[in-house]
Amino acid sequence: MNTSPIELNHVTKTYGDFKAVDDISFTVPEGTVCGFLGPNGAGKTTSIRMMLDILRPSSGTISILGARRALDVRSRIGYLPEEKGLYKKMTATAMIAYFATLKGVAGGEAKRIAGELLEKYGLGSFQNHKCEALSKGMGQKVQVLASIAHDPDLVILDEPFSGLDPVNQGVMEEVIQDIRSRGKTILFSTHVMSHAERICERVVIMAAGRLAFDGTVDEAKSLLPRRVRVKGKGAGAALEQLKDVTHSSPSSDGREGVAEFQLREGADPQQLLKCAFEQNISLEIFEVVNPNLHEVFVHLVGEEAREAAYR
Amino acid sequence: MMQIYRIAHREYMENVKTKGFWIGILLFPILIWMMIELPKFLEERGIPTRHLVIVDRSEGLGEIARQRITLLNRQKTLGELQQHIAKATEEQRKEKMEEVDIDPDQLLDQLEQGLDQLGNPDLEIQPFKPDQLVKIGDLLPEQMLLNDLQWNNIKKLLLSQLPDDAPEFIEPPLRFKEVTLPEGVSLTDGDQQIEDALRPYLRSEMMLKSNDEEVELFGLLIIPENALEPKARVRFWSSNLADTDLIDTVLDSLSEEARQQEYDRRGIESKAVAEVASMRVRSIKFNPNKSEGDEKVGIRDKIRQYAPIGFVYMLWVAIFTIAQMLLNNTIEEKSNRLIEVLLSSVTTTELLLGKVFGVAAVGVTMQCAWIGSLIGILRYKSGPSATWIADLIAAVITPELLGGFVFYFIAGYFFYAFLFAGIGSICNTIKEAQNFMSPLMLLMMVPLGTMTFIPNDPNGAIATTLSWIPPWTPFVMMNRMAASPPASEIYGTAIMLLISVVVVFWLSAKIFRIGVLRSGQPPKLLELFRWLRGSHS
Repeated sequence: MNTSPIELNHVTKTYGDFKAVDDISFTVPEGTVCGFLGPNGAGKTTSIRMMLDILRPSSGTISILGARRALDVRSRIGYLPEEKGLYKKMTATAMIAYFATLKGVAGGEAKRIAGELLEKYGLGSFQNHKCEALSKGMGQKVQVLASIAHDPDLVILDEPFSGLDPVNQGVMEEVIQDIRSRGKTILFSTHVMSHAERICERVVIMAAGRLAFDGTVDEAKSLLPRRVRVKGKGAGAALEQLKDVTHSSPSSDGREGVAEFQLREGADPQQLLKCAFEQNISLEIFEVVNPNLHEVFVHLVGEEAREAAYR
Repeated sequence: MMQIYRIAHREYMENVKTKGFWIGILLFPILIWMMIELPKFLEERGIPTRHLVIVDRSEGLGEIARQRITLLNRQKTLGELQQHIAKATEEQRKEKMEEVDIDPDQLLDQLEQGLDQLGNPDLEIQPFKPDQLVKIGDLLPEQMLLNDLQWNNIKKLLLSQLPDDAPEFIEPPLRFKEVTLPEGVSLTDGDQQIEDALRPYLRSEMMLKSNDEEVELFGLLIIPENALEPKARVRFWSSNLADTDLIDTVLDSLSEEARQQEYDRRGIESKAVAEVASMRVRSIKFNPNKSEGDEKVGIRDKIRQYAPIGFVYMLWVAIFTIAQMLLNNTIEEKSNRLIEVLLSSVTTTELLLGKVFGVAAVGVTMQCAWIGSLIGILRYKSGPSATWIADLIAAVITPELLGGFVFYFIAGYFFYAFLFAGIGSICNTIKEAQNFMSPLMLLMMVPLGTMTFIPNDPNGAIATTLSWIPPWTPFVMMNRMAASPPASEIYGTAIMLLISVVVVFWLSAKIFRIGVLRSGQPPKLLELFRWLRGSHS
């Protein structure tokens, strides 16, 4: 297939005067795990709903698995919404099977798959328990399984990790890795950068309804310059003068006497080591710090996130 | 289509599994059964013999009251005897299908002969036909009932005419029984004294003795000396003043006596007055809508006229129970955000239709169970002693009533279901929904209010006008069905109703589409109008 599973072209969604999503365009290539990041109110859920054709964009076009409308290819899409719920009186198996049948899986087959999935992800003994009897983590697992029981080509997960304890977060990562290993495409939104950094190949970052970044994780990290942390007598004054250093400050990790130097893009940290050696400065600490996704995120959306919080 | 079916199927299965559904199914026949059996049960067991003390200060008025009480007792026994006879001769009467003409005078003559034969077994008498045996009780004159010997002989005679295998007749307990004053209280005591002395007995704090049995005192009746004078008052004491049979009977008999004395004083022949007073102008009712030669209006027609009330009530209860069900589970799905997952698999229209059809199937199941059990119970209970039930069944099971019921159930249900689903979609909690429900409930109360008076004037101006207002059409038209409203109105209102169902569906689908995804406060009315105009989403 030539087309990407998800393609958004100048998509805008307005509610009255308010622009929830403002002219965003991005694509998610087939077979990738893409993190969909952004602070609260950035427009992630609205965008996801538009991708799924639950909401219609005010302008712009969306293509999902090559179709104009997600409903035309609904049997190939799995979706887990941000706020999760279950039919309290249905059993875990019936719940998963029901959603699979809505995606076109035959009744008997759906039940079989539901049983297998529950077994595989550690809920085998809860197959016939009513959903109201499950713990929150279990319930959420059941919902994720309900969204993937029909083996979709594209899985969209809205905040899949929220409300899960670390053990269940691990299980959720496992589920995502399993889907990826079968060559499926995954888009998931999250606030937790460490998950995105571990799992994603690509990230799309939104802020205040606009697209702030779209690219690979490495590309995202390269948006921020690298830093070097140094401790040694007279090191601060000497290294500050170097042309590759753009900024110096006490170390952001709070260690006493450690200075942090921000480097110009493309600069080699070894230059600082060389300089210190030449000037006979004895170094106690010399660390090269690569930016992480969290820093990139704060750098990109920090202001908007604060604005959004006050909006 | 498949998606609608799958959603409907789940709705149906989930609702059918609830306790509420089964309680609803079972409660109805239980209630009907109780409605039929309870009065009988209460009559048989519930009302024991009432014991009373009569203090008579007059000359002979006490005797008149006592006679009337005896009459009351014997009429009750006679009623039971008639039922016993009806049951015992049921088989025989079923075999002989031909109607027996009953001539009251001839039948009474036959009875006299029968009574004579009791004293003289050699006399040949004509045996009673089963139908005559059942009817004869209605013809007995009061004097016969009041004459102890005759009364006993009548009972003996009637029972002797029953088939050999007839069960034994057990006389019911007396309705009222007079007892004497307790020890230490005498009729020579003053009224006040007697009343004070009997107070603890009347309060059931003490028991009276009657035939070596301890009995509760039901009432104390004091007939004053000049009881028939306008200012006089009969004093009646009882801690159960709700049972007015006794005092009514006594007052009737005394009033009659007062009238009799007044006639005598004025020299008017009381028998003539009674004869004149018994004159009645009678009528036969005809209905031009009935087929020629069959225009006479009978009891069956009366039942037919009022039977739709039952249907309307059932329609109302059914529509609102299941529409309420729909409202509740729309709110449930909305509040636990399941709706979003559903909407990634189905369109809002599919979801709305699936839910409405699924819940409709629940309602139809419930209705079928109700109607089935109702007919079942009525058929089971139907018999010679309850011919009204057969009349009722015949009156109710007609194409126009049943057909009307099915049509108005479906159309009415869809009308309200779409409305309720729309409301459910904009509310996050039942509490929020209640704000919208209040005006709707008022709207729904109207057909209930008109339910009883429409059969009196089924084709009148009010009924006709209300029929054309879609939310009320199903109920009002159902109510009028038995009165054969003009075909133009039947079809006109039906088309109007169907169009309204489509309009309500269209409006609800619009609101549903936006409402189900919305969280927070329900929209204001103005905002709803904006949604409907499409300036949202």
